[in-house]
Amino acid sequence: MKRVYESSWPDLPIVQFRRCYLGRSVSPWLFKLFIIIFIATPGYSQQQRLITGKVTHKNDGIGLPGVNVVLKGTAIGTATDVNGSYTLSIGESSGVLIFSFVGFETHEIVVGGRSTVDVLLVPNITQLSEVTITGTGVPVERRKLAFAVESVTSSQLPATPTSSLDQALIGRIPGAQISSIDGTPGAEMSIMLRGINTINRGTMPMIMVDGVQMGATLISSIDVSTIDKVEVIQGAAASSIYGAQGANGVIQIFTKRGKAGKMAIDFTAGWSRSEQLNVGGLRKGMYHAFDTNERGEVIDPATGDALVQNPETLLYEGSAGFNLLDSMSTMDKPYGQNCCRVSSPTQLNYYDHIKTFFRPANLYNTSISLSGGDARYDFNITFARAHHQSNFDGDGYNERNSLVSNVGFEILKGLKLRSITQLIFNRNTVNIWQKQDFGLGLNSFTLFQTRPFADFEKKDTQGNYASYYGSIVGVNQFNPYYEYQYARTMDKKIDLIQNFAINYALPKYADFEILYGINYQDQTVEHNVGSQTLNQNSIASGKFTSWINFENTGEITTIEKTRIFENFRARSTFRFDLINDFNSSLPLQFLTDITFDYRSDNFHHYGSSALGIPLIPPPVATNGSLFKIFEDYNEEFVTYGYFVNQRIEYKELAGISGGFRTDYSSAFGRGSDPFTFPRADGFFRISGLNGWDGSRFANTILEWKIRAAYGEAGIQPGPFDRYVTLTPRTLGKSNALFIGNEQSNPDLTVEVSKEFEAGSDLIIDGLKGNWLRNINISVSWWKRNTENLIFSADAPPSLGIGTIIDNALSLESSGVQLSVTTTLLKGKSWDWNLTTNFSTQTTILKDVKNASGEIATGNRILREGEKLGEVYGSLMLANVDQKGPDGEYLIPLDTSQLNPETEKKYGPNEVQSAYEVASNGWVVHKGSKQPFITNGKYSLGDPNPDFLLSFISDIRFRKFLSFSFQLDWVQGAKLYNYTRQWMYRDGIHSDYEQPFTIDGQTGAWTAFYRGAYLPARWEKNYFYEDASFVRLRNVAVAIDLSTLMTRLKFNRLQLVISARNLLTWTRYSGLDPETNSYGAKNRYSGSSTLARGMDENTLGNFRTYQLTLNIGL
Amino acid sequence: MNTMNAKNQNGFIVVAVFVLMTSCQDELDVINPNEPTPENALTELGIIGLAQGAVYINGQSDSKYGGNMQNTVLGLHELMGDVITSADHAGGAYCPDSITLDDGSILPSINDNGQVAYLREYNIASSMANVFYYEWAFMYSLNATLNDVLATLEAIDISDEKKNTVRAWCYFWKGYAYSRVGSMYYAGIITNEAYKTNDVYVAKERMLEEAEKYFILAEEQLTVLADHADYLSSVDKLVPSVCKPGKGGVMTTAEWIRHINTLRARNLLVNTRTSVMTTDQWTKILSLTSNGVRETDNTFTLRTDEAGQLLSIYNYVASTAFGPTSDGGGFYKISERLIQEFKPRDNRLMNNFMEISPWIDPQRDRTTTTNTRYVLLEQGNGIPGVLVYLDRGIGQQELYLSSTYEENILMQAEANINTGNIDAGLALIDGLRNYQGAGLPSVSGTSLVLDEAKEELRRERRVALAFRGFAFYDARRWGVLENGRKGSVVIDFEAVVNTNATVYYGYLDYWDVPIAESFVNPPGKGSTSITNPK
Repeated sequence: MKRVYESSWPDLPIVQFRRCYLGRSVSPWLFKLFIIIFIATPGYSQQQRLITGKVTHKNDGIGLPGVNVVLKGTAIGTATDVNGSYTLSIGESSGVLIFSFVGFETHEIVVGGRSTVDVLLVPNITQLSEVTITGTGVPVERRKLAFAVESVTSSQLPATPTSSLDQALIGRIPGAQISSIDGTPGAEMSIMLRGINTINRGTMPMIMVDGVQMGATLISSIDVSTIDKVEVIQGAAASSIYGAQGANGVIQIFTKRGKAGKMAIDFTAGWSRSEQLNVGGLRKGMYHAFDTNERGEVIDPATGDALVQNPETLLYEGSAGFNLLDSMSTMDKPYGQNCCRVSSPTQLNYYDHIKTFFRPANLYNTSISLSGGDARYDFNITFARAHHQSNFDGDGYNERNSLVSNVGFEILKGLKLRSITQLIFNRNTVNIWQKQDFGLGLNSFTLFQTRPFADFEKKDTQGNYASYYGSIVGVNQFNPYYEYQYARTMDKKIDLIQNFAINYALPKYADFEILYGINYQDQTVEHNVGSQTLNQNSIASGKFTSWINFENTGEITTIEKTRIFENFRARSTFRFDLINDFNSSLPLQFLTDITFDYRSDNFHHYGSSALGIPLIPPPVATNGSLFKIFEDYNEEFVTYGYFVNQRIEYKELAGISGGFRTDYSSAFGRGSDPFTFPRADGFFRISGLNGWDGSRFANTILEWKIRAAYGEAGIQPGPFDRYVTLTPRTLGKSNALFIGNEQSNPDLTVEVSKEFEAGSDLIIDGLKGNWLRNINISVSWWKRNTENLIFSADAPPSLGIGTIIDNALSLESSGVQLSVTTTLLKGKSWDWNLTTNFSTQTTILKDVKNASGEIATGNRILREGEKLGEVYGSLMLANVDQKGPDGEYLIPLDTSQLNPETEKKYGPNEVQSAYEVASNGWVVHKGSKQPFITNGKYSLGDPNPDFLLSFISDIRFRKFLSFSFQLDWVQGAKLYNYTRQWMYRDGIHSDYEQPFTIDGQTGAWTAFYRGAYLPARWEKNYFYEDASFVRLRNVAVAIDLSTLMTRLKFNRLQLVISARNLLTWTRYSGLDPETNSYGAKNRYSGSSTLARGMDENTLGNFRTYQLTLNIGL
Repeated sequence: MNTMNAKNQNGFIVVAVFVLMTSCQDELDVINPNEPTPENALTELGIIGLAQGAVYINGQSDSKYGGNMQNTVLGLHELMGDVITSADHAGGAYCPDSITLDDGSILPSINDNGQVAYLREYNIASSMANVFYYEWAFMYSLNATLNDVLATLEAIDISDEKKNTVRAWCYFWKGYAYSRVGSMYYAGIITNEAYKTNDVYVAKERMLEEAEKYFILAEEQLTVLADHADYLSSVDKLVPSVCKPGKGGVMTTAEWIRHINTLRARNLLVNTRTSVMTTDQWTKILSLTSNGVRETDNTFTLRTDEAGQLLSIYNYVASTAFGPTSDGGGFYKISERLIQEFKPRDNRLMNNFMEISPWIDPQRDRTTTTNTRYVLLEQGNGIPGVLVYLDRGIGQQELYLSSTYEENILMQAEANINTGNIDAGLALIDGLRNYQGAGLPSVSGTSLVLDEAKEELRRERRVALAFRGFAFYDARRWGVLENGRKGSVVIDFEAVVNTNATVYYGYLDYWDVPIAESFVNPPGKGSTSITNPK
């Protein structure tokens, strides 16, 4: 049971206000204003009669702290202490005491002549009694919520190895698509709630921590062990109270609080071992097609000599020949076995690079927390540490230390202070070329494109690694070990998330809260590259590693990024009850919410590099030979506004609310008009109707609510998207200005998201016995229009620029979310709960403001009326006489026809008779053995899944044994497998081993595979794969020994054995069907949203085994 | 009961919110602190900076797909002119349609329907692989910024001479931009207003007329300016300091006018098939080049700089051709068809190239022409006084933005040869060979007949102007695109050195307008065809 009441977000600050108020005449005035508000509190009237009592939990008889005790119809009230006891002075008159506490049925008792009133409170057993705050601002019981809010409590978070919250949430939130981006430790995941809403700002939802926005720290930096609860609201209907930043939905994290009572100490230690998933069995072919001599040696056609690797430079000298497009070429010559490191010139060994480089890695988690409190204060201090090695051999690690303290006091009656401090120190030594934070990921890229005979572990005669072996090994090849020999990355991040909250509640009518959160991030990335001027390979090949340097002389490059994000909110809530407050007979309750909300974001980015590092150690930047500042960028963004909302409830039966949110934004400058967005919602509890209880439904349907919500939210342009500038550049001693190719647009307006959702929540009484006792169903349907979508659209080059940011598109999306929770079994020893989450969504491009109704962007065409995110490309065919959408044959019937492009008749090689369907199912030219590929671009389909389905099951035996698992099913998702296509280019992919029959000839004909690569018609249906999958996400067994070893007096002594991503069933042929291209993560890049559905050498998720020990004292 | 009146509280909150909001209004006044605004161009320093940036940045680099003039664009010209080759360029976009080897066997194109169809497949709206995009984008980016400079200039309080100098600069470079568009694309757009374009596509001939118009406007300004002190000081500022060494110094107005003449001659020469050149045209070229760039004249140059702000040492054709000998050189390989043009014992060959055991592209489904026995040396072999094609030392390589003495003298020679003054033409070739330190015996006075003289001229243009972006123009006007390059050296995949092969290129003579333009700016009323009918 949670004491959620307090979690209504207090914040606070006055003192910390913001520099905008400091030093101004207004600030003392303002200060006084707040003091007045706080001090003008009622002194209580003469206290003549003392009532005492104890409030206890009906089930276990334990005292309940924090229960509100109010004399009905008055402002007289108090709250119970840590033991559940209270003392209250009331007037002479007797009256009715109201005992209320979230999660419990409210109880009213007539005092009469008693001086002691003890109460047993009955918990609300249904889920609908759970209280949520996100999207409403004030704590609202689920039964009165008018939109969908998903919540995950710490006890529901998987006991499995997840170092970050984004991973832990996978499958838990119906409607959310969460996928891996680069697989390096510490990397963020891509999160999309309810489909694509904006292209401009990516799909990332707004992240809030304890009531204020966290605008600098990544969600992946938050240690799961410090989290008490997560609430997720999706889309504008629910999130419009948060203004422009909430249009993608909101994920709110609540950190753990202390509970009244004896101090508790919890200790957790976990060890896990993870390995890169390769569920599609991606590997390189075991055969080659090089020219060989009679001894089987690969030969240089120019000299006839066997290929030799020069031991000094490790470059392959001379050349080697092969012709993958030759119609008779097959890959049938096996590479030598990977027997030894001494590679003779005559034999090319096969090295399994994927196995070599993707190694299992360890993750260590520890956390310790102290918590406690009493009626006046509570505290929870958690220290957590996670150390995560990279799964890429030779690479670094990510280490995170978090210190979180959450302290609350009641300093005056009704006046509460809370301070939540999170200090996170993150140290990441993963090489920058591996991390897609930097838009890179090249180490894996070069790895996939290297022919398998390259022995990367080989050292030259001086003991150095070589960077490049020559184009015979693959033109994009680069040795990761060379990178690790010369380059080291240290990426340090300090995150501070400090929230203050002041909450002042009058016993009646009103409460006020002030929240102030400052989120500071300081990141320093140092990339240290040694001089390679003595490396024989670098000298001979001209290849080297660097970041900024154009030469192989080494560098010490430092990037510093600081971000200060502040969020200040002042909220006042007023409540009236017509019956109690105005002696009316109408059972109406009024709740008014007025909030002022201010946010500012300051970002500074500075990059400097010392080039030319001396060969004599130690490498020190001051000893460089050339110094360069390559980045000096500042960004400031301010937005503020207010939110006014009026809520009216009729008994417990129905409620409506309506309001608006108004925002000013610095993106539009001073003096601009604010943007105002309305919202409204309503619920109706059918099961609360008079007469329901006696009806025949009442026995089956315990609770039934219908609800609807509408909200609008504006997504503002980037801070400088409207700000036209010239770009400066220093050319020697001259200062040049030029017009950059990406242009801002002063006419840009705000994107508007309008969303309607309707839904229903019901509880159905199940069977009478132990099985299927009840079923909780929550279903929502939503529809959203996004207008004036900001998009960096192609401009005519004759205008002198490349792109211009414009309000270029409109979208229409809709979807359904369903969550079913059942208690399958509730017996004396056994408990079995099952949750099923289902969601589906789609996004259509409604309008393209463009003469052609289309926008082309890389491999995507944004075309009116079609699904957003569709991939376009050429077709390989399954039937020779297949027709295109225009009804014409894709392969012309005969040679009498005219090719409209060349205006010449089709040649005999271009018509249907030249082709047949090969045994692999594709239309292949009988002579050349190359597949037929259409010229035009066709829609290859939407990469977004048809639906997502998760089954989450928890089984408990008595109090000490639990077993849980989660099964995720993603159906109909597609991924464009660029990784595979690139591997086709150089004959590297194992598909080349697959024989097929064409025109009566059977063989692993290379011409087919190489022909499928054909770069001129780049995207093809052939590489656009079904990425549906079913995955055993988590499976865990936990034993709590404390109940068995009662003498040891542990609160908890739990051992958890778990595994994550243990099994996956998919037809996808790459590493992991659950990946996205790196572009998907870049929140501020125009391509971000559109990069979904691409596997571009992307590393996926991990299979992880974990052992965890939880000790509670 | 002593509860505060709720109404009053409401009032307080409303006031508080109001105070908060009004006091924050100032904060909304966020400016972009990172970059100057268009207003910053409204000073002498600003307008000079923008006029400089137009030429050295907008016209050279900073396209949305990257690339630059010196490497991407001139590289395409040199690839199509077979001075360099590359198997990997745009997946094989510059592979000839077919090659007939010495034994008569034919190597077909690696692309199904030949290069024209292949290139057009890439001519899609939003693709960095669209080779048609780059020259168009750089030239229009140059033109658009100059339009902006011309418009802004009106509002700036500086001397008329300074203004006119900036005008001359803008007119000249606009003429240059239109020249390049008209010399490479089947159609173009004339746009002379700031921040505007239009949808009237005009034929390439019309583009060249507009170029001529701007060259003459520039010449008029320069004639009046006549080395005025304000002219000299302004040009001194317009040319970046890094570009000033060597021939990059400040041009006198007379030098600049000669420079214009050379470019006007070039427009005539490269846009007419040599086989149909009229005597009038040759005479015109003769007259223009007689008053064209001289040996001692300064010109517009480009150099690499330490920071790579202007140009990095890896970003021009010759530097991209440099690479490991085991790989036959860098990304660009040295074409055997270039090497065969050097006459025996030409110092320029010996000073700049190294012979290796033949490098054969291992992947034979690409192109044969990439196979080569030669790699480019850096800084040459040190033969004194001989041209060095590549010096990657920072600031060492002098690259040419517009035209040079060498180009002018060869045009003059060609015009002489074609107008009956064979020996005068040959003498000019000899002079140029001496200038570049070729160390070859004179050809003038050796009684060469017309065809022999033309051959001397052809080979000299290939060699003397290598890597400078003339090879495609020449191949086009000499009919090589259609008729093939006869007598070519081609190394086949069995390492056999063919010496009498014919390479049939089949490239488009003038490119279609990139669809990147027409997709968002469809041809309007009165437009000519934007697609080459070939």
